[in-house]
Formats: sequence, structure tokens, C-alpha cells
Amino acid sequence: MSKMPIIFVFSDKKDRLPEIIAGARALGEDVCAFVVGTDEDAQYAASLGAGVVYTFAPQEGVMLEDYAPSFAAVVAACGKKAMVLVPPSKRGRALAARMGVQLGAAVANEVTRIEIADAVTVSRMVFGGLASGSERITSPVCVLSLASGSYEPATPDASLKAELKQGVFVPPAVMPKVVGLTSKQGSSVDLCKAKRVLCVGRGFAKKEDLALAENLASAIGAELGCSRPVAEGEGWMERERYIGVSGVMLKADVYFAVGVSGQIQHMVGANGSKVIIAVSKDKNAPIFNFVDYGIVGDLYKVLPGLTSLLK
Amino acid sequence: MKIISCCKIVPEEQDISVNSDKTLKLDKAGLKISLYDLNALEASVELAAAQEGSTVTALTVGNKASTGNTKVRKDILSRGADCLAVVGDDALVGILPGETAKIMAGAAKKLGFDLILCGEGSADLYAQQTGLLLGELLGVPSINSVGKITINGSTARVERDLEDEVEIVDVPLPAVLSVTTDINVPKIPSMKAILAASKKPVEEIALADAGYSSDPASTMLSILAPDQTDRKREIIEGDSEEQIAAFAANIRKILN
Repeated sequence: MSKMPIIFVFSDKKDRLPEIIAGARALGEDVCAFVVGTDEDAQYAASLGAGVVYTFAPQEGVMLEDYAPSFAAVVAACGKKAMVLVPPSKRGRALAARMGVQLGAAVANEVTRIEIADAVTVSRMVFGGLASGSERITSPVCVLSLASGSYEPATPDASLKAELKQGVFVPPAVMPKVVGLTSKQGSSVDLCKAKRVLCVGRGFAKKEDLALAENLASAIGAELGCSRPVAEGEGWMERERYIGVSGVMLKADVYFAVGVSGQIQHMVGANGSKVIIAVSKDKNAPIFNFVDYGIVGDLYKVLPGLTSLLK
Repeated sequence: MKIISCCKIVPEEQDISVNSDKTLKLDKAGLKISLYDLNALEASVELAAAQEGSTVTALTVGNKASTGNTKVRKDILSRGADCLAVVGDDALVGILPGETAKIMAGAAKKLGFDLILCGEGSADLYAQQTGLLLGELLGVPSINSVGKITINGSTARVERDLEDEVEIVDVPLPAVLSVTTDINVPKIPSMKAILAASKKPVEEIALADAGYSSDPASTMLSILAPDQTDRKREIIEGDSEEQIAAFAANIRKILN
């Protein structure tokens, strides 16, 4: 596989930068990072392997996405075939699309595979995860958001130094004004990093019954997750915990489904797990096509039994 | 206020099956409004109701078979839009968001707008960029992940529901906003609304009139189902004490 002459990276989330830079180092000759922040942030990007770092001073009342023209100006000025990598966060996607238009570049979100030859070919999930779409990019520049878990994160190395440059803020033609920013309450659970996940589905009759799942989860040292209807329809759990399309894509050692029917849109988020276990009273539930170990039974009976046996 | 609400017509995912060569079998699948766009339609209708003299035009772009489907057209109009604008052309089979956005931008310029609402993605490609590209192409603010919209004169105050934070932004209009699925619960159309839908106007916009010329930055090569991981599929049928114990023994093997 040939390499891209230069790859530009940006992450709105500091903890995603090591993976994005690792991807850029694997795919590109040169890595150039954009940082909106301090010199310390720039040093961090350098320690992860960016050869050049552009630091932009944060502007009061400006959405991070409104740095798109500033970043695009640097990319356009390089005059080479180039790639821009961002995380698949909401801000990452917004930046990707806007830079894409400004640079006449193809945009693809949450790409799981990138191949560089004469053209760049990327893969991403389509039809709710039922299939993978392969897109051939013909524009000289492309902007991609990289699916989480695609590359082993780079480890910071303080001996790595970068050429530090001052970024110039280029305001967009019309600029919305940020008037408030508040952190969200609640858990900052990251199921992608969990080794064991116990997932609850619609098989539970009411919210109080989730205690049965909590007990089993603590007995086997698992994080709790859920299917989309449990988070979005019932509102029994936070959105951050739902597994499947547009939710969490697991990379767990063990995925344990309880009362989950196993629709493809859900299983897409679970299939990356090494072992799949399921409890469901419906013998014909699709989930049983995807399991290593399953039991057809009443979860209200099976869960307490398992909890006492596995404690 | 003139609102355009974008909606994509997509295959019903429950009807999609996988062929033996791993391609998807779509020809037997029914058509429907992409789920995420129902939230955009509902939000458009709610905003229009709150602003006197407002209109909602639903806009859909795609091939002739999908955009020409009378049942789905009626479904769109029964959800409260005043009229429907359609760019339907068989040159648009399998196009990616970059091209879709260009056509929508052309159509939106022709229709005129103060506000364009989109869903967070489409049920088929889920590229989550069409609305963002559209705003940028039109040279107006383009904001995603919008969970709440309040109109104050020529500004929309929006709440962006991001991963770890909520950002409140004053957005000068005209603008393109992509809304989340949490912004509202789309209503099921009443019988009266369904009957009224067939009397509402539909405007067909020719591809050429949308100022479109094909020059894609990317094209779809293939859409293939992934290989399934081989699973053991050791399933115990029944929940007697012995069967639960046998199941626990299976689980213990992998936990240790």
C-alpha cells in the first residue's frame, strides 16, 4: 500500500488524538496536527508523532466547527494530495463535512478501513450495519472521520519534537455565536473499553427489574449496556449505553445479552465481541443465531439463578 | 418563515435480505420515509405552527422509483408539510451525499428558504453529512446535533446535544439545521391529515433546473454483507435448575 504524502489531523476530544495520530502515521508520510488550545496541547500532539503542529488560539463565542475554514486554508496551501482525519464525534463530523465542501474533497464518516493506492478506497457501514459500503475517492483531498478502534493508539514520547506553527483564524462568512456550554450530567461510561458487557433488552417488563441485571453484572464484573429501545423508547438508561447502529460498537471479551431479540441493527454493535452469550425466552429470537452460549428461558428465573452460581 | 424539510425515501430495512454473493436484495423491499427525517418533518411543522404565515415544503431527491412512490409521497404530506418538491431522476441511482447535497442546494435555491431542517442521517447510508454539506454549499450556517430550536426574529437559538456537553448557539438565519432523534416524538398522522394529503401540491423539479452537473468526488464501489463470525451456538432449551446450572458452567469456562 502506498502512503499519502501528508495527513492532517484534528480531534475535539483529547483522548481520541492518540488513535487518530497513530492512523495518520500508518497511512501518511508526514503528519500535521491542528490544535485549538495551548502550547501544552501542541506539545502533546508532537509527543504522539505529529511532525508539524498548528496551534490556534481559542476564540470566545466561536464553535469549534467554525475553525473549518482556518484548517481548510492550511490544507489547501500544502498543494499536495492530502487526507484529513478527525474522530467520528458530532463536532468531528461537522468539521469533516464543512472542510469537505471548502476543499472540494470527498467526505466519509466512521470509516473502518482505508486503502491507499492510485485512489483512496474506504469502507464504512451502511444499511444499519447490515453491510459494508466500499467507496472510491477520486478527489485529491479527502476528509475522513475514523471509526473508533481502527488503530492502536500512539503512546506519548516526550523526546519527539514537532515544528510548531501559529495558526491564523479565518472566520466563516456567517458565524453563529456560542452563548452557552454546559457539561452533561451523569456517567461518562465508555462501553467501547469494557471487557465484559451485560446488555438488557425489551425482555424486561419494567425499569425496577433491571436490578436483576445489575446484580448479575456485578457478579461477573460487567458493565451494563442496553438495546436502543431501552435507551430511546423507554428511557431506562442513558444513550451512551445503547449498543448497535449509531450507538456503541463493542470490542468486549464477553457480550451477554438478556432479553434482547437480536435485530441486525443491534447485533452490529455486539458482533465485535469475542464471546456472545444470551438469555431469551423466545427460542426463535434472532439472537440465538449469533451466540456461543445461550439459554432459552425466563430471565426472571435464569438471572437470579446465575447470579448466585457465578458470584 | 419559509421552511424546507428534507426527507429521503429509503428501502424498509426489515425487508432487506442478503443474497448468496453477499450483495443486498433490495428489490423486494418496500419504501418509506427515512426514520430520522420524521423528526425533521415534525420539528418543521411545529416551528411553522409557532410562526404565523410560515410554510413547510418537504424536499426529496432520488431515483424515479423511490421519489415517485405515491404512497410515500402521501405519507410525507400527511405529516403536516404544505407541499412536496421532488427531484426524481434515474441518473441519481446510488449517488453519495456529496452529489445529493449539490442537487438539494440547487432545489433549495429555486424554492427559497429561511430555514432548512434535516435528520441526523439517513436510514440507508447513514453518512450523517448531507445536511452539513448542504448548508456549506449554500453558504449559510450549518449545524448538526440540534436538540432544540427557538426562533427569535432572524435568529434561531439552538441547543446542540453533543457527546459530553450541551452547546447553545445563536444562529443567524437562513441556516441548515440537522436535528437529533430526541428533538421530538413524531406524531402519527390523523385520518383527516391523511385525507388532506392527497390534495396538497407536488412540484417536480427537473435535475437540470436544480443546476446539477455530475462530478462526484467519490463513488460507491460495492455494498456487501460482512462475513459472520463462527459461533459455537451451544443453546440450552429450558430453565430448570439443572439447565441453569449447566448454562452457568458454560459461562464459567469463558470467565475464568
